[in-house]
Amino acid sequence: MDNLVTSNIRQRPTRTLLSVAGVALGVVLIVLNTGLVEGMLNDRIRRERGVGAEIRFGRSGAMLSPSSSNPVDVRYGDQLMKIEGVKLVSPVGYYIQSGNSGLGMEIVEGVEFDSYSTITGAKIVEGRAPQTDQEVMIDEFKALHNKLSVGSDIQVFGETKKVAGIYSPQVGSRIKMPLSALQSALSADGKCFEILVKVTDPDKQDDVRKRILDKLPGNEVLLTRDIGVGVGREIPGIKGFVRAVLVLSVIVSALVILLAMYTTITERTREIGILKSLGASKGFIIGVIEKEALTISLIGVLVGLVISMIAAWVLERATTLQLEFTWSWILRAGLIGLGAGALGALYPAIRAANKDAVQALSYE
Amino acid sequence: MDAILKTENLVMTYRVGKVDVNALRGVNLSVGRGEFVSIMGPSGCGKSTMLHILGGLLKPTSGKVIVDGEDMADMTDAQRTDTRRRKIGFVFQRFNLFPTLTAEGNLQLAEQIHGKGKKIVDEETRREVLRLLRLENKMRHKPLELSGGEQQRVAIARAIINRPAIILADEPTGNLDSENSEIVLEMLQKLNRELNQTIVMITHNPEAAAVAARTVHMRDGMIVGEE
Repeated sequence: MDNLVTSNIRQRPTRTLLSVAGVALGVVLIVLNTGLVEGMLNDRIRRERGVGAEIRFGRSGAMLSPSSSNPVDVRYGDQLMKIEGVKLVSPVGYYIQSGNSGLGMEIVEGVEFDSYSTITGAKIVEGRAPQTDQEVMIDEFKALHNKLSVGSDIQVFGETKKVAGIYSPQVGSRIKMPLSALQSALSADGKCFEILVKVTDPDKQDDVRKRILDKLPGNEVLLTRDIGVGVGREIPGIKGFVRAVLVLSVIVSALVILLAMYTTITERTREIGILKSLGASKGFIIGVIEKEALTISLIGVLVGLVISMIAAWVLERATTLQLEFTWSWILRAGLIGLGAGALGALYPAIRAANKDAVQALSYE
Repeated sequence: MDAILKTENLVMTYRVGKVDVNALRGVNLSVGRGEFVSIMGPSGCGKSTMLHILGGLLKPTSGKVIVDGEDMADMTDAQRTDTRRRKIGFVFQRFNLFPTLTAEGNLQLAEQIHGKGKKIVDEETRREVLRLLRLENKMRHKPLELSGGEQQRVAIARAIINRPAIILADEPTGNLDSENSEIVLEMLQKLNRELNQTIVMITHNPEAAAVAARTVHMRDGMIVGEE
């Protein structure tokens, strides 16, 4: 079928390629970023829920961020153990650093390995637990993806430390060190970020939580089963970030299409005049240009999705970053790509439809 | 003869900077159904302006332009566009074909606009038009693969395919050599005779004007005579 829309797309390959690239870029931005957010959050949630402690005791308002401190006194552990229904406690400190691959952030946990291991069931599967400030242990996933083994060097706190052991299963953060070493490095003796609480009867965890709140008011006592909400909240600005990515994608895609279509309309002024001489209405002319933009945007969306999948495959193999794509975000990215394309083409289309027919026909 | 096109005291004044330019100064023209009329005159005499007004591309300053019973001077831009779609076919000096479409695509586009997306041209009319213009074997070619004469024949086919009330031809042989000019004029004559197509053609060329049944002479925005 020989029609104006497809023939224009074929006859202007550079313009088409640039427009497709612009829309694809927008789609890649949305799909990869939301995929990363979803993937990293869900991965973290899975690992946090896997710690085996039903309750997490922390300081009210404390958030896990690169600038956060470890505000909880470990002596709260003794008070928690005196509360009815508490079986075991284990203090955990955190430190956030840049990812070893240069991408993203990485959490380093400080743990008392004996109590932590009892609560979480984490076992050393290779090597041994770290014994000095210069040693850490990592989980199997990190060992595999970063090609690390017992004795390997690893950067923590900007210093080179040794991997003393590899543990399994994946629970909490992927790098762990003795809590005392973390406290010492952060000049936070006797402090931790939170205390994991194992209860004697998981069915009564709500009662235990209430008793903790009664006995130790002014602190935050979270149930691990609610951790999805908690983790999302602990990452400041995550919703704002996603929104910013969406807006940025719309702007990038719409601007590229606008510029491409605007240039095309100028080049095709005489053709607009011919359409008018044939009796084409403004609606018909806008329709032709919008169809062209939508076709280009559709190709851009498909290319963007393919690039996103390839990029995700590469990222997951080259780093410890986890990406999860959901149909809802893929659909939204597609609709945003198409919508931005249609929006970007609207102004050039209206401008074309309003051109003076006689002037357009005499355009050189 | 039943007039399919009529102008009454047609005036067109352009504003150029602070100066008013009188392109048409009260033109009265009547064209009968099935008539072939040529309009001759020197450059700047207002022939192109008149053709554009007759085709609804321009709105006159005053006067009437009655096309097949409808006064285009009273219409909005959208209404003139609609009348043009239904009743007018244009043929231009520079062919004005879509370079990215084949000859077939150019015809289909005109049909699509005329039928508002529906196919309303019957195959018999289509075959007849292509036969008269000797284009049967050229439909898969793009304009740049055709000679000037062939391109103009495709442009004529595009103008006539929807069987408009009037064809307005603006110097249709202006870009052609004498051999192709002759062929195109012969085709226009044939369409006029065999399909009873009304044609209004503006031209500088007296030989071209001679193929029409009537020639109207214009000067300084007025009709100054006819033969």
